[in-house]
Amino acid sequence: MASPPTSEYPRRIGGAVPRFSWGTAIAILAVLGLTSWSVWGTEFDLVELFSSTRPMERFLSGMFPPDFSPTTLWQTGTGLLQTFQMSFLGALIGAVAALPLAVLATQEPPAVAASRAERLLRAVPYHVARFVINVFRSVPDILWALVFVVAVGLGPFPGTLALAVHSAGILGKLYSETLETVPGRPVEALRATGAGTLQAFLFGRLPQAMSDFTSLTLYQWECNIRSATVLGLVGAGGIGQQIIVSMNLFDYSKVATLVAATIIAVLIVDSFSAFVRRRLAY
Amino acid sequence: MGLALKDVTVRFGETPALADVTIEMERGARLAVIGASGAGKSTLFRTLIRSVALDAGKVLVGGRDLYALSKKELKGVQRGVGTIYQAYNLVPQLPAGVNAALGEVGGMGSLRTLRTFLAGPDGPLAKRVEAALERIGLSGMAHQRTADLSGGQQQRVAVARLLVQRPELVLADEPFAAVDPVTTERVMEALLDLNGEGATLLINLHDVNVARRFPRVVALKEGRIVFDGPPERLTDEELSRIYDGDPYGTGASPPQEPPEDVLHCRQDPARIVEGRDGISAH
Repeated sequence: MASPPTSEYPRRIGGAVPRFSWGTAIAILAVLGLTSWSVWGTEFDLVELFSSTRPMERFLSGMFPPDFSPTTLWQTGTGLLQTFQMSFLGALIGAVAALPLAVLATQEPPAVAASRAERLLRAVPYHVARFVINVFRSVPDILWALVFVVAVGLGPFPGTLALAVHSAGILGKLYSETLETVPGRPVEALRATGAGTLQAFLFGRLPQAMSDFTSLTLYQWECNIRSATVLGLVGAGGIGQQIIVSMNLFDYSKVATLVAATIIAVLIVDSFSAFVRRRLAY
Repeated sequence: MGLALKDVTVRFGETPALADVTIEMERGARLAVIGASGAGKSTLFRTLIRSVALDAGKVLVGGRDLYALSKKELKGVQRGVGTIYQAYNLVPQLPAGVNAALGEVGGMGSLRTLRTFLAGPDGPLAKRVEAALERIGLSGMAHQRTADLSGGQQQRVAVARLLVQRPELVLADEPFAAVDPVTTERVMEALLDLNGEGATLLINLHDVNVARRFPRVVALKEGRIVFDGPPERLTDEELSRIYDGDPYGTGASPPQEPPEDVLHCRQDPARIVEGRDGISAH
């Protein structure tokens, strides 16, 4: 027998937007409050941006036509090559330094029935490596560049060092997370047949993480080529250094050429890196 | 290598996964462990490779208290223990030959480990790998990427790893649960051969018909031993008692017609007709 029709509908299920609750309301108010506070603190003013357009007009009109003189093109080419070299070497040295740091900073599942001394022996290098990675990673590359400019003088060398140290921090963290998340069963199977820590790492974890490592390193290289451009602004070599010199000389048409070349180079490296990473995703 | 579990209890929270389990096996014996899902078979397996903490009892492998051994002593014992799993637990990115060669990894020194990592198995080891793959029907597949092999072929590679290792104790955790009947038969043959050569064999099984091929069967239910004896004593009533409460029932899987090649691959096809996976009809 069919159930009698009822006028009462079941309780509304609701849409994708969270239902009203005091918690949500307070969260929205907190976000609005933070926004106002930040606008006030940063003197954020769109009216100011669009009302004082004269300096911007002067800058933009000065950029056209771009300077395609042989000297500028030569300087652009050498600047780009130097930026490329800095980014590549920075990523490579960073990756080489990151690997041992990541290995030490990888948290293995605790061994069953291991003695306290054995646990301590594993915990000390783990925490030291984590600390080093965090220091390398949390200091921005531009600050590392300032440090190395003070230490070794102006030029691409301090820039490369800055990129290498920062890359080692970023890649160290990403590598160790990759090593921790590879499927553990093959590693466990190796350990069960008497493989030591190094053997389980070399034949169990590393092969499973290798394609991710390559992909992450290529991505870091992409980031480095963008960072290498900025590092020049503090005298750490590359095309950025030429951009800042030209800006200071009000040579905006040369700036246009340098910036356009930078954009093209970054796009080419990004596309190449993305292509290789897609191939590795298999 | 004989083994003994003495009053072993393992708890996960409040629930006992194993409760007062006592099993003894002489060197060269073979034993099948059956029971419904969650009965404690895998936990029993894990106690024998020291990958789960004991709440009470002792586990002796080769006469040595497994849970009282130092890291170095444990490695020594584990070198003589071969394992095979339902999910193969191979390193999918490595060639099949390297996975098979990893049976030897526990016995390698640092230099040989590095050499194998960089250049692959050396001459004598490569020869043993080829022989093992040939014995299991994977001749000429040493260079194939393991991930590109079928599930059945991967399980055979896992058996080849055992053959390379030449263990004194073989522990198998549901090795037939995810493979076809032909592979089941091939793997079973290899395991029985190893047993015939003197290795002790303990195997966890879902399939009662396969278990009947063992001279001794132990049944677990809710972590306790509810049957220990020859397969002839496994009556319908016994099986009902063992699998009581299992959602799949006792022998619930309908008889399946095996593929043609299975029926012709052995003298006694009846041994593999029933129950590819799960508890088969009895």
